[in-house]
Amino acid sequence: MNESEKKEKQEFLIKFSKSSSISAFRALCSKILKKSRCAFLDAEYRPVKYGGECNHLKLGKYLARIKAGLLREYMIFKCSCGKICLSFPIIQGSSVYGYVLFIHLAAEPKKTAVDSARICMDLALKEFQKEQELTKLYETIRPRAIALSTIHTIHRLLSSTLDMDELIERIARLTLQVMRSRHCSIMLLDESKKYLVPKAMIDLDKEIPKTDPKYKKIKLGLKLEGRVAKTGKTVLLRNSICVPLVEEDVIGVISAGDKTNGAPFDKFELEILITLAEQAVIAVKNAQMYEEQEKMAYASIKTLAALLDSKSPNTFTHSDQFVKMVLAIAEQMKLSREDIVNLHYSALLPDTGKFSIPDEILKKPGSLSSREYDIIKKQHLESLKIIEHLEFLKPAMPIIRHHHEKYDGTGYPDGLKGGQIPVGARIMAVANAFEAMVSARPYKGKKIGVSQAIKELEKNKSSQFDPEAVDAFIQVTKKPEFENMLGASA
Amino acid sequence: MKNIKRLLKNDTARKILFFFNENPNCIDTAKGISLWIGGDANNIQKALNQLVKEGIIASHQTASTTAYAYTNNKQIVKKIEKCIKNM
Repeated sequence: MNESEKKEKQEFLIKFSKSSSISAFRALCSKILKKSRCAFLDAEYRPVKYGGECNHLKLGKYLARIKAGLLREYMIFKCSCGKICLSFPIIQGSSVYGYVLFIHLAAEPKKTAVDSARICMDLALKEFQKEQELTKLYETIRPRAIALSTIHTIHRLLSSTLDMDELIERIARLTLQVMRSRHCSIMLLDESKKYLVPKAMIDLDKEIPKTDPKYKKIKLGLKLEGRVAKTGKTVLLRNSICVPLVEEDVIGVISAGDKTNGAPFDKFELEILITLAEQAVIAVKNAQMYEEQEKMAYASIKTLAALLDSKSPNTFTHSDQFVKMVLAIAEQMKLSREDIVNLHYSALLPDTGKFSIPDEILKKPGSLSSREYDIIKKQHLESLKIIEHLEFLKPAMPIIRHHHEKYDGTGYPDGLKGGQIPVGARIMAVANAFEAMVSARPYKGKKIGVSQAIKELEKNKSSQFDPEAVDAFIQVTKKPEFENMLGASA
Repeated sequence: MKNIKRLLKNDTARKILFFFNENPNCIDTAKGISLWIGGDANNIQKALNQLVKEGIIASHQTASTTAYAYTNNKQIVKKIEKCIKNM
């Protein structure tokens, strides 16, 4: 018997001696043999270290002396102090693992009692084997189930964003977390497919700015990441782990380095990272498709805006400055990304509703008659039909429709007030009024200065405008880039 | 260290820390964690919030999901391991 076999048998005996099946065996033996305390010896008659029952060391030596070889049957014998003892071999397959000893019995047990005790021992062994198998199964399956649940959670976390920058950053942070590493980087192949461009680099100890030399692109085949991207094969090193992001071809790599506890990366972690990379690829592809769709949507809107502009310049569209203002207010008010995208669409086509309003009303200087105002209200809704078939503009339609509403409910087309007006429309109303005041639109009369226009907005807070949107706008105007822009238009 | 000892006196927090100490690679929701360690999901959520506040558990939040993971702070992890060993 070699050392590892010995160790295995020793471990088996220790576990068996502490198992619940041995407790049941003892309870039965207390009835059969009138003795519940038993001791365990290994196959070489040495006592197994277990609790305080090691005073049978002498007995082991005694047994070893009287019986040189392995004992495969039970044995009744008198120990050195002349008292009756009983030993049972613990047999697994064809090997004797050790012995159970009942020491100092009151009388010599009858054969039937010994047979019963032996049957109980066999049952206890079988029960223990089952317990062992279940434990093994639990120890094998549980970490895998936890890993699977982790991957499922990661999938949920990744699929909740379509913003590429946010997504890549999130993948990197989750990788760092799951791999328990100090560094993580995500690199994607550029359009030429010759270079890897670092998209996210995370270090547990310090923030790495995008201007850091680490963000320099890597030629395919160079460095660990470049080699992984070129070969498409995973690399598992002691302190680094790198897997390719593969859709049909390699689109990038994800790598982690230096575990926080200094331990080496193992195959289990490689398996997790491969699965994580598969999830990441799906999320990246979805985000890329969404980006493409967004680009197409912007292109369509810009084409439409250019068409409208060719009919009457600056009537249906506003300046770039207006769009910037609207988006800056939205960001100041911390609108969601989705709301900002819809607001952006709306800001590119704010006055499509004027499309079928007759020119004599549209360009009339001074105030409108009530009949003319009624025509505007009616035609505003009519004109919106031009864009209602564009599916991607549907979420933006309420903003375009309602940006002439007033906060106190006196605007058009539906007389909505306060929170009934979509937040995007409330923002557009502020930017629209500001732009009208500071620029010389033919039908608005004399333009006024920036500070005077801001005063006007403040004066009409809560009546015409959403006070929150006005406050956000004022904050925006204090920012240097807007001060410059507004300075130019003042 | 005192904080960790205090937290380990709470049954739910102790179970959570034992779980993450055994499965440091895990990221899961409060509901998921309650399945692994057993116990009332609300209590687990409360204990997780407290552990996040103490910097022992990291939270990853999106609009629809909040997931929890073990801290990456080596010092904190060592302290927790020491406390668990001495229990």
